[in-house]
Amino acid sequence: MTKVKMISAWFGGVLFLAGAVGILESGAADVFLEVTRPDFQKISLGIAGIQNGGGPEWLGGRIEEVLKKDVKRSLVFDLVDLPSLGITPSNIGNGTGTGSKAVFKQVAEKGVSVLVWGKAVMKEAQKDADVNMEGFVYDSGSDEVVGGKRYAGSPSVVRLMAHRFVDELVFRYTGEPGIARTKIAYVAQQGTARELFVMDYDGYDARQLTADGFLNLMPQWSPDRRFLVFTAYRDRNTQTIDMIELATGKRWTLISLGGLNITPALSPDGNFLAFASSHEGNSELYRLDTRTKTIQRLTVNPSGDLSPSWSPNGRELVFVSDRGGGPQLFLMGSDGTNVRRLTFDGDYNAAPTWSPRGNWIAYVCRTQREYKLCVITPDGQKRMQLTTGPGVDDSPSWSPDGRHLVFSSTVEGKSHIYMIDADGKDLERLTFQGTHNSAPSWSPAS
Amino acid sequence: MRKTLCTFGVALVASAALIGMPGCSKKSVQSGGDAQSTQGKADSSKPGVGSYPDTSVQPGGGGLRGLDKNPSEERVGSGTMLAKVDPSSNAGRQMDEIRAEQAASAAAGLRDVFFAYDSWVITEEGRQALSRDAEWIKSNSNALLKVEGHCDERGTSAYNLVLGEKRAKAVRNYLVELGVGANRLSVVSYGKERPSCTEHAESCYQQNRRGHLAVKVGK
Repeated sequence: MTKVKMISAWFGGVLFLAGAVGILESGAADVFLEVTRPDFQKISLGIAGIQNGGGPEWLGGRIEEVLKKDVKRSLVFDLVDLPSLGITPSNIGNGTGTGSKAVFKQVAEKGVSVLVWGKAVMKEAQKDADVNMEGFVYDSGSDEVVGGKRYAGSPSVVRLMAHRFVDELVFRYTGEPGIARTKIAYVAQQGTARELFVMDYDGYDARQLTADGFLNLMPQWSPDRRFLVFTAYRDRNTQTIDMIELATGKRWTLISLGGLNITPALSPDGNFLAFASSHEGNSELYRLDTRTKTIQRLTVNPSGDLSPSWSPNGRELVFVSDRGGGPQLFLMGSDGTNVRRLTFDGDYNAAPTWSPRGNWIAYVCRTQREYKLCVITPDGQKRMQLTTGPGVDDSPSWSPDGRHLVFSSTVEGKSHIYMIDADGKDLERLTFQGTHNSAPSWSPAS
Repeated sequence: MRKTLCTFGVALVASAALIGMPGCSKKSVQSGGDAQSTQGKADSSKPGVGSYPDTSVQPGGGGLRGLDKNPSEERVGSGTMLAKVDPSSNAGRQMDEIRAEQAASAAAGLRDVFFAYDSWVITEEGRQALSRDAEWIKSNSNALLKVEGHCDERGTSAYNLVLGEKRAKAVRNYLVELGVGANRLSVVSYGKERPSCTEHAESCYQQNRRGHLAVKVGK
């Protein structure tokens, strides 16, 4: 089987589209794509340590570890190992002393673009403001300390301070907010029930949101990150689409038409909810205007239509239909016009999700009876399989920067949640607890 | 300029949709009847449609303030506010009702119907099981039944909910053919979310691809 090889990072989706050269290898059941971007360079970044200025021994190291992982996952920076370049970080302070000048000179000579360092203190006696973190940034291009941040908060937000700092770095160098403070909503088994949870994008700090003792399925975020829409069962017998407010836990039913009420998806502006319902017979797609409460039927055919996902500009939907036999991906205008089939490879393609940059649609493709992740361009011209191995991969969801996917997989037996780069590299497992974690949904960036 | 063009394009599409495109087979479902009179109002009076809050993104909500040469202290809160969940009596009530339902169904001796991979066609064996189930249902004329459609773990969660409904409806339709009143049978799909067996093996998958008849208890 051909190796999947793609650009090392999707830095700038527009640039990628304009500059990418796709070579489609046809003939095989799985078509792989080779894309090279010789002009793309990640920004090299070194972390010269977070000094412990007082407090528990783990403090500086913990922050540094979170910083490093966030920097790597950003895919904007190339994290360099300073000691292997002969740079032994000393205490640089605020970057104005003569000692720091020598370090900066070394950093510039070794071609490292950005140097980050900092200090953390925990004042255990004080309430509310007992952790302080400082971080500074030296840019070798302009040969100056371009700035820093000072954070204060409780010990429970130490990881969040590091996430915040890396989001500032990403913002500084790309103009985009970064993903280190994003969240992932998902479903976890609790006894015989399946309840909604929310965790940080790196799998930490999982919190339970529902506890009704039955099934809560397929959560999706509202554009403002304050709500989730999901499928639930009233008194176990009647399927509904419910909404929950994260801050208060307040929950109510948004759609209860009878029959199936599944796969809700809010438009990027929050003005429409696309969903599938079988209240008029078989599963069809509908669109609720959230302002007028008008429901418009989008599909009319005797087959099953489901799993709508919005294009980033809100004008189109990709969805699943089994009108040709097995499930395949189709596209249509968000008013139900101009329906056309997108996938033709294989007899099972489902669970599509449109990337926030618009240039790819990720979905579940069946190959040799295993269910794996694939991506396809909306024009159907390029297709690539991202995952291999046994088991069922399901429910892909894009990071808001379009550089990663989160999904569930039974590749190691039980269903757990994984993250993977959009080019199929760096598979990372995010959940380790429990017997079943599924249906991840990545929040918008804040 | 480009933005203006885009907006214009959207407006064109929207007005075309309002006029109704010839040859486009779509129909508007009005659960409440009168769409025009409720425009812009956040009413929740329509059957089947609940209230919807403002979810539009507030500008500047990201909280990033940029790197600063002389940074002032920023307080870091807990980020996205999450309510503490109340493991309420709801879960306990559901558990009690599920147990009562299971006991009633077991006492009735109702049989499950099993399906082939990716299929919702009732087999000969399934028809025999349903014939006996139908006898019980007809002779217990007060019982209300729920026909559950289930799937094995292969395939996506979403598509399995559709498949589960096809199975449940196939079971219901056959029972109706056998003379059971349709008003006594409700249909629900659990997809692959309530497996009876959790091993990753065909022996287990077979048990999970089922139509299950449950005697409703309570309401």
